Parts: sequence; C-alpha cells; structure tokens
Amino acid sequence: MKPVLTGMASLRGTDADKIISNLNGYFKEMRFIHDIEKIMIAGIGLLLSDAGIRFPVGNNDIGLYIGVDDAIEDVKDEFFQGIITHGILGASPLLFPFTSPNALAAQASIAFDLRGESITIPLKYSSYCDVIQYAIECVMGGYSRMAVAGMIFSSGSGQENLSAKFSFLEAYRSAAVRRARIYH
Amino acid sequence: MRRNAVVTGIGLITALNPFKDTDKFWEAACSGENAIQRTSLPMLDIDRKWLMAAIDTSLCEGGIQGNAYPENKLHMLAEEALNMAMRDTELQEDVIIGLSLGTVLGNILLKEKRLIQNKIVNSTHMNEKESLSYITSFLQKKYHLTGEGITVSTACSSGTDAIGIAARKIMAGKADAMIAGGVDVLSDFAIIGFHSLQALTEKRVQPFDKNRSGLALGEGAAFIVLEAEEKAVSRGARIYGKVLGYASRADAHHLTGPHRDGRGLADAIHQTLSQAGLTPQNIDYINAHGTGTVYNDLMETKAIKAAFGKAAYDIPISSTKSMLGHSFGAAGVIEAICCLLSMKTNVVHPTINYEEKDPACDLDYVPNNSRQWEVKRSMSLSAGFGGQNAAIVFGET
Repeated sequence: MKPVLTGMASLRGTDADKIISNLNGYFKEMRFIHDIEKIMIAGIGLLLSDAGIRFPVGNNDIGLYIGVDDAIEDVKDEFFQGIITHGILGASPLLFPFTSPNALAAQASIAFDLRGESITIPLKYSSYCDVIQYAIECVMGGYSRMAVAGMIFSSGSGQENLSAKFSFLEAYRSAAVRRARIYH
Repeated sequence: MRRNAVVTGIGLITALNPFKDTDKFWEAACSGENAIQRTSLPMLDIDRKWLMAAIDTSLCEGGIQGNAYPENKLHMLAEEALNMAMRDTELQEDVIIGLSLGTVLGNILLKEKRLIQNKIVNSTHMNEKESLSYITSFLQKKYHLTGEGITVSTACSSGTDAIGIAARKIMAGKADAMIAGGVDVLSDFAIIGFHSLQALTEKRVQPFDKNRSGLALGEGAAFIVLEAEEKAVSRGARIYGKVLGYASRADAHHLTGPHRDGRGLADAIHQTLSQAGLTPQNIDYINAHGTGTVYNDLMETKAIKAAFGKAAYDIPISSTKSMLGHSFGAAGVIEAICCLLSMKTNVVHPTINYEEKDPACDLDYVPNNSRQWEVKRSMSLSAGFGGQNAAIVFGET
C-alpha cells in the first residue's frame, strides 16, 4: 500500500483568528480558552479544506496523530498557580481539562466530528518525523483510512510565537477513488 | 506479511503489595484487597485528606534511588517496574528494544515543587525534566533501549495506546522487541483538579453499583515486553499471550464527559474484534475502565452491550480501579496485565465494594469475589478525557 500526501497546512498563531472566522459555521461552535486551541482548530480546518474533505466528517475514516511540544506546560503552570495563590478554590474546573495534551486533538475531533483514532505524542524528545511516521504506519496497516498528522510548537509565550504544520495522508487508492490532488 | 506480537515479560508497581513480585500483586487483586485510603496531598499543606491509592516508597528495599524527595517518585516507580519486566523476560542483551510509554502528567511533582518554591508562571523557567517525554528519553538512555522511543499522552487511555502502538510496530516489522508501559504518580495537581470537577468519591469506589459516587486517584508503573512471536518462540521465551487486536477511537463529543451512548468505545471494541477476526462469543473476560463515576460506568455498559450484543451478559467484567483507584497512564497497562494474568491463572479478579445492582448497569461485574473462569481471550478497555477510547484484546498463543 502506497501512502500519499493529499493536503498540507502551515500557519502561525497570528493567522488563526482570520482562518477561524472564515471557517465559522462549518465546524461545531466552541469557546477557546487559549491561543493554542485556536491554532489547532484553524490548522485542521485549513488542512481538511486543502485535502478536499467536507466537514463535519461524522465517521471514523480519519485518524488524528498530533505532536505537541512544551507549549501545553504553560496551561499547567497557570492552573497550578491558581491553587498556590488561592488554595483549593483557586483550581479552575474550566482550565483543568486543557492541562492534558490530548485536549487539543479532542477539540479538533469535536469541532470537525472526527471519530477515528486519536493519538497525541508529546514532543521534545520525540520529533515531528516520529508523528508522521506513526501516522503513515497506521494508514499502511489499514488502521486508519486517512490521517491528519502534524504538530504545534511554540518559541515563546503569546500567539505570535505559536506555529503549526499539518499533513493529510492516505493510501494512493483512496486518493485516486476520491480524485484528490496528490502532492507527493 | 503481518507478524504476531506476543508478551514475554511483565512488571508492575501498584499500591497492592508494592515492590513485591507479580504473584503477590495478583494474589492481592484476586483477594479483593482495597488499596484506597484517606491520605494527605503529596506536596501542599492543606488541612484535608482525600481517598487515594498511594504507594509507600519506604517499602522499597534496596531500591533504585533515594525516596526522600517526592519528585523522584515517578522515576523510581518506572525504573522498579521496568526492571521487573526486564528480569521476567530474560531478553538477550544484543536485542534492539524500543520503548512506548504512556503518561498523562509526567514528572508533575517536579513542576509543583518549582512553582511552589519560585511562585513564577513563566514557562521559560521550566525544568526540562518536566517535559512529558523526558521520562521516556531517560529510561531509554539508562537502560540502553536503543530502538524507537515514543511517548503517548492520550489521557486515561495512554497506557493502552502505548501497548497498541508498540504491538503495531512489531506487527509491521518495524521492531523485533518493544517495551510498552505507563507511569503516573499522585499529585496535588490532579487531586485538586478532579476535586474541582466533583469527580472524586467521598465514600468508596463502587464501579457499576447503583450508589457509585465517583472515582479515587491512584498511582503506579507497569510495563510489558512485546516481541515478534517467531523470535520469542525461537529463544524459548515464556509467553503470556498474544496481542490479537487494538483500536483507538474518538468520541468527538465532549472534552470531559463521555458520549452518553458510548459511541466511541463501542466502535473501538467493534474494530478490535474485527482486526482479531473474533466474534463477541470468543471473548472470555473484559477488564473494564470502570472508574466508579456515574457517567463512565453507564457509558461503558452501553458500549459493551452495543458491541457484544446478547453475549455481553455472559462475559465476566471487572474493575481493577475498584481496588487501585485510577492511576492515569499506568492504568491501561496494569489492567492489560490483569487480563494476561487471568489467562495464565484462569481466575478473574472481583469488582469490590459492589452492593446494589443498578438497573442500567446489568451485566456480570464479578461482584466482590474472584472467580475461577477459563480465560482464553481477554479484552481491556480504556476511556478518558477528550473522548479518548481504546480497546485491546489478548489471546493465548
């Protein structure tokens, strides 16, 4: 089985608001707590559009394989700082779920109704290539018909320091059947 | 051609007979011992105790490293469990071994210590050891695990996903041997976090009981050694079981609550059975996610019924968390080991604290007493925040 690349998206944190505003109405409405979620939703939306996938998807054809670097640690720090400052009552039930790295993939799965595999891989000691490689293995192994693989990384705090890149992968046969544009 | 992945070694450290051998753990689990007690937080000085299953590190004789500092606990548990699995498998030193590790919080106690001491938020001051993937890299270097290393953080499904990923690497011929594991420790962070969500019980953990009132947190480390079947057979290794199928599925529904009909979990079970070429009647035992929360247990029961149909009523199902609480990344691997030990001993451990039947949870949850039961194929289920779901099935070789 030959895997092919049928979609690509690369964006910076500062692009996210505009992309989300263009996509509004096409994905499930949600409240964003952090900029990192915005870039995730914007990136996946951009990628699915580029790959010619209509959303909401509503089936398990597409697996999500997402690498997340230490950007998520800021959310943990913020949550625990609340406890240090205000005790038990300082723990935000709104913030707590976002301290888990898979919250980003979860938000994307909810927004675009992606019901396939969902795997989050913390980076730093693993690389973007590891994420892509596993996604390819899942497509080739027939575990996912199609795969969204990518990562979010930060070079500092703030929206302007966030960036993301995503790839859409599938078997050649699948791409041919749905007449998708093949990049590689 | 797809190869088979078999389990040739197991090791675990839990709050049930910690730092003893696997037989002692299994003896305690089958006796229905309760490891959950009312305990203080690990780091913060708050005048309140919560129900949790903590591991007393002072019980570790001749351990890996000193246990005077809480922030060493993650590494200590991981190393002890990893060593136990390595001793059990007796792999030759020249084999290239990969590591697939599930963790939800990593060395969260180190972060807590830093934030408490420094009272700063800026992540640029973060200690690199707080990175979730640090523990994987550390174990790889220290134990010369020179194959592929991957960290998985899929909330409470992390351990099961770590095993599934490792098995797939072997099946695809990308690796001959992989260690798959999970580790997480109790933290003020998680206890207060789950408290803020009102998910913790104030009484007892009673999975599937009508009066269940929430979960308790736990901690632990667990590892299994996976090998390509032909390699394991050729070296005469003891084989606990074979990975027959695994699947991950997203609910695509809600960030903290499960899909009310168990849609994602049912699909994961269905997919796992399909990969394994099995029918619902072929499964002899299910180790449930079974947290003891109202919604999880109801969702899980619905998912099992949806996927197994009438056969659901004939399969014993038990919750390890009724005794050990929820140990996050370690949970899936501990529960997978329970599946393997059930196959080895033909005993299924009980769901303890079960008193009153919930009309909506009407399956066989092995209440309070273990059961002699022939187990040739067993399935472990996991679910977690973000609508994560995973199912894995093991079978005799």
